[in-house]
Amino acid sequence: MNSADCFSAVEREAEIKPHVPGEVGIWVFILGDMLIFGLFFIVFVYYRGLSVELYSQSQATLNKNYGAINTLFLLASSWFVAMAVDDMRNKTVKLAPVFLPLAMLCGLGFGVVKIIEYREKISAGITITSNDFYMYYYIFTGLHFLHVLIGMGVLVFLWHRARLAVTQADVRDGAVIEKDMVLIESGASYWHMVDLLWIVLFPLLYLMK
Amino acid sequence: MNTQAQLFCAWCGVGFLVLFSIGWWFIAGYIPPMSPAMSANEVAAFYQENTGLIRLGMVITMFSAALSAPWVAAIAVQLKRIEGEFPALTYALLVAGAVGVVVLVVPPMVWTTAAFRPERSPELTLLLNDFAWLFFVMTFSPFFIQNLVIGLAVFSDKAESPIFPRWVGYFNIWVAILLIPGGLITFFKTGPFAWDGILAFWLPFGVFFGWFVVMFPLLLKAIKQQAALASVE
Repeated sequence: MNSADCFSAVEREAEIKPHVPGEVGIWVFILGDMLIFGLFFIVFVYYRGLSVELYSQSQATLNKNYGAINTLFLLASSWFVAMAVDDMRNKTVKLAPVFLPLAMLCGLGFGVVKIIEYREKISAGITITSNDFYMYYYIFTGLHFLHVLIGMGVLVFLWHRARLAVTQADVRDGAVIEKDMVLIESGASYWHMVDLLWIVLFPLLYLMK
Repeated sequence: MNTQAQLFCAWCGVGFLVLFSIGWWFIAGYIPPMSPAMSANEVAAFYQENTGLIRLGMVITMFSAALSAPWVAAIAVQLKRIEGEFPALTYALLVAGAVGVVVLVVPPMVWTTAAFRPERSPELTLLLNDFAWLFFVMTFSPFFIQNLVIGLAVFSDKAESPIFPRWVGYFNIWVAILLIPGGLITFFKTGPFAWDGILAFWLPFGVFFGWFVVMFPLLLKAIKQQAALASVE
């Protein structure tokens, strides 16, 4: 198979000029969002430095297994999304409508574990006002969870577009239209950011010594 | 075309920023913000020592707040160009902007009430001070909606040369989200989520003021583009 067959118009264009995944605007949001989480992390590390003992004691009550399972869920989910993007770049879309629901399933798994974890903490009497560590724990993981929920909506939308690309394959002569590609790359970039934020959040809250 | 009127309204946004900073920041001295952990006596002392400055500062702050109305109207005119005949998002922006003026006008009135009789019981001054700060920092909702609808309207612009570039849509939604931490101040007296904290005060206010700075040149450009189009026709 030569390269002209397996790349869409978008990809061929990329060989000529540098390619930014998705639309440029989504990167304003992603980089802005990461900047803010970066600020969150700096604030956390600063205040942790002021009372390391309290933070370490509180951290010891977190269930590392939940955090680790959720890391695996999001990594797997990111992988499925990456495979779906790769598949959408092919002239005939086959697996994207399968990969995207698998990615959503991982996201759902993340949510279920998160809710079990919150329930355990709250029933043990640990809430947002218990101490500073739990304040950060609830606010940071809560904001991240909000990102996951938005991301699930994005994945549903991408799934819908991927299925359209398959069902309308004959009308479109099998090619994924450029607009679809921009949408799925934008959505996938956002989802990878959600994954990346967790990968920083997990060691920061659960593991940092 | 009423280009002059639109430019006047856009410049009111700059007037808002400048006068608000003068009144609230430089004259009344509310930056850096007072700590919510201050005792009643400390708070009362602040109003006793700065009575005149707070009174003067609050007159200017109160006046500046209304300048955000023409500013929002100027953005609304451009959103209307995007939306056309049934401008739901534009109307939402106007209503949210109107409420935003109220949110910016009421706290200066409460602060000036605190400074009106500085000799009164410190407990009462503490109450007024709490009320003004909570009202001022926590009330993110109208501004959240304001930025959200601007973002949504920019996304809905399918024209070949859109009125605002698409990144402006993402930028406005990003700003909308960053205003949210203000809502947490009711739970804390110290730390980053207290009303003087880095995440509940400095971040949302920095972003809100930065939003004016980013939107102003874009708004001028959109108005001039509209004027150029009108002169061609």
